[in-house]
Amino acid sequence: MADPRLVLTVIAISMPWSAGIFSAVIQRKVRAVGFSASLISLIASALMLDGALPAESLSAALMVLFSSLTLGAIVVLPRRDCNLRIVGGILFLLGSTLLGYSTGNLLVLLAAWILTTVPFYLSRLFRALWRPRVSLFVSSVALALAISVIAASSHSLTIHRLSGDSPGGIAAFALLVIAVIFRKGICPAHAWVADAIDGGPVIPSALLLNGHFGALLVAKLIVPVFPDTVRNFFPVLSDLALATALYVAIRSLSENAPRRLIAFLALSQSACILAGLESRTTEGITGALVHWIVVSVSTMGLFTVLRLLEVRFGENLTASTHLGLAEHAPRLAVFFLIFGLALVGLPGTLSFCSQDLLIHGTLQSHPQTGLLLPIAIAMNAVSFFRLFTRLFLGKRRTGFTIVADALPREQWILAAGVLFVVLGGLFPNGIVAPRLAEAEATRPAAHAPMRPAAMQP
Amino acid sequence: MDLSQALLLFIVLAPGVVFSVISLLWLVGWVPKERVLSATTGIVFAASIFALAAISWNVGAAPVVIKFRDWFAVGQYDFPLVLMADRLSVPFLGMTVVLSGLIGQFSATYLHRDGGFLRFYLLLHLFAFGSLLAFAAASFDLLIGGWEVVGITSVLLIAFFQQRPAPVENALRVFTIYRASDIGLLLVVFAMHQWAGTASFAGRFPQLTGAQAAVAGLLLLFAAAGKAAQIPFSGWLPRAMEGPTPSSAIFYGGISIHAGPYLLLRAQPLLAHSGMASALVIVIGVLTAIHGTIVGRATADAKTSLAYASLTQVGVIFVEIGIGWTWVAVIHTVGHATGRTLQFLRAPSMLHDYHQMHSAAGGELAPTGKHLDSLFPERFQLWLYRWALDRGHLDTVLDRLVVDPLVRLSRVFAKLDGIAFGDIRSRREEAAISLQAGSGVRGD
Repeated sequence: MADPRLVLTVIAISMPWSAGIFSAVIQRKVRAVGFSASLISLIASALMLDGALPAESLSAALMVLFSSLTLGAIVVLPRRDCNLRIVGGILFLLGSTLLGYSTGNLLVLLAAWILTTVPFYLSRLFRALWRPRVSLFVSSVALALAISVIAASSHSLTIHRLSGDSPGGIAAFALLVIAVIFRKGICPAHAWVADAIDGGPVIPSALLLNGHFGALLVAKLIVPVFPDTVRNFFPVLSDLALATALYVAIRSLSENAPRRLIAFLALSQSACILAGLESRTTEGITGALVHWIVVSVSTMGLFTVLRLLEVRFGENLTASTHLGLAEHAPRLAVFFLIFGLALVGLPGTLSFCSQDLLIHGTLQSHPQTGLLLPIAIAMNAVSFFRLFTRLFLGKRRTGFTIVADALPREQWILAAGVLFVVLGGLFPNGIVAPRLAEAEATRPAAHAPMRPAAMQP
Repeated sequence: MDLSQALLLFIVLAPGVVFSVISLLWLVGWVPKERVLSATTGIVFAASIFALAAISWNVGAAPVVIKFRDWFAVGQYDFPLVLMADRLSVPFLGMTVVLSGLIGQFSATYLHRDGGFLRFYLLLHLFAFGSLLAFAAASFDLLIGGWEVVGITSVLLIAFFQQRPAPVENALRVFTIYRASDIGLLLVVFAMHQWAGTASFAGRFPQLTGAQAAVAGLLLLFAAAGKAAQIPFSGWLPRAMEGPTPSSAIFYGGISIHAGPYLLLRAQPLLAHSGMASALVIVIGVLTAIHGTIVGRATADAKTSLAYASLTQVGVIFVEIGIGWTWVAVIHTVGHATGRTLQFLRAPSMLHDYHQMHSAAGGELAPTGKHLDSLFPERFQLWLYRWALDRGHLDTVLDRLVVDPLVRLSRVFAKLDGIAFGDIRSRREEAAISLQAGSGVRGD
């Protein structure tokens, strides 16, 4: 009898792809088809998470997270975005991302890595501007080369068999770091993230960013497989991540385009994930894993509200003046405020816990550079609040023919996101404890001594 | 859990529960009536006052402490969830429930039929919850939670009259100062965990060496100065007067501005251990008191004048804390908070009050401050007047030293990043003009 875990994995991955093809054939009811497929993926992922060992639940937890985000995105998609092109692309992205999360094989990981970027090259789907395309391409090439080097120096391409071996040595490690830098948008390769959001469809691009494949590569491959190299050279990536968090936080102070500004906030906050993963402290790694979840939910919430505002008030929103949209859409204003404050560590939300752990972890391992983290978070908070005040506060605009606050389907989905970040903040143990087990599983590998050649598989 | 513990829990949680329930119901479509809101507020705070009276009856013997399980624990680091009502926190808790209840009742009439009635009451409850949590916290970890909630409610109420740009921009300024100064509190919590293994002060205060106490004391002073608008952060206080009068009363006359002194009072063992930190507390207090009294005399409106009077008194409270007169500072705080709240609430009727006093004095009210005029030469008076009019140049200095360089740096980064995207940006900026004109609506 087939392994039930494998069956669930296949269902979770294949369902969105099949639904994408099915939608293309029938060309109608795309929201219903997309909803059903992502719901099935979510249920399958949740069943996997339920049966997973505490230390091995990271993949399943990420699958649940991403399926939930996709499900919410499909429900809340504005009618004008809810076409075959967008929904089909999102479903393709979902299947590819779940493939990347679930696999333990390097070649499959590479395939997933490339597949998630494919919709951004196709003009029929979400063709991105040149910088996102180049960055994603460079990251894919770097990962392919790294895997080639690993394959050349090792007889296995299974991650758990390579654990602690440092196959390919410093060359493979350097290529993997380059892949992470370009995929995650670490300085100096950070500019593509804002371009992807600014020049492409908001919600699919936000889903691509919230796949966090760069962080996945670090947590899944770099830290366990290259423990010694990590000890010696990985702090460079961590310092770059902290520098990115600060650089982008400063950069966002003068940004007036809402899409770009939220992209910068998302980038700055998610750069902290890498710093936490590298901190090599249980607090830092656990904080990073929890922060991963918070950043994904909050930024999806922010991008979604922004898109809902764009379809109501035009795509020309700006933070250079007060637009007074709260008078027209008070509930969207509240959702935006809560998601934004949850992103920058408001007490009572999950990010308060994650940032508390992250700050402790990074300051413990890097007292000098760790100081940048609270400073960057404070600046992000200021930038977010500036955006909120400019978009929602100010004199009520006249001349709008349609005054539409959140529709019921939007309200329920956004309320679910708000409840998640708030209840997660009030009762964080349900989310922090499983991440602690995953962090413990990651951390010893980072400190494991090199095994003698005879013991290697 | 005994009765005192249950009552303490009720006091802290009640406003938070009211806020959560009403805001959640509103999010899914329910809009409560004004009468329901004001009655709920009255009942909650009246019950809290009775509950606190019952607690304070017993606090003389031993503090009431509630220990829950750690909020979360990871490795060596845990976040203790401990509430405590001791002889220091009870006066502050009392101040919070009494003044919040009072403001709730006052605002029922003051904000009747105002578009932001619901928003005001929700934020009042959230603020009360944040304050009660900060004052009842038995660790600096938990105190930060309440501290930041107080900060965010404060700025949202400054932007209460959101139709005008000035309150909104001032709220942003205050938010910036709060977030910057909160870094001090975050770092002190980390430092205490590193040095003493805990940031809890239930029972024994974390034991630090002299140098560690000095660093922690300075970080705490940074945080307290930001919240209490002490020098060099004093510039935000007059900006905060843009909010509705009841919120100005409770925040900047009553509770929020005294959160800074509370933090230092909590850290008194630490300040006592570091002469340098204590001396700096005194210096900042003296400078702020002088600044407040001079600038306050040159202000043109009642609320700003009261804000500077408040600032002066808080400066004096800082001095008392620096000297180590803990109980003098507590009594001063409670007296000042209640008296100043009353003054703020009477501010809209100030002219009426003045005319009444004027009539009662038989049409002759002696001018004050003449004795100061005689002390200084005229040129110095003129210089001082200009200095006071610009509020001691504090905002200008902060702008030149911190804000402007950061914004310039941000623009340099933008140039580095944005060469290829000028077309997109300018297109959006142009299109924004049409939005401002009120056109360009597309439905879902």
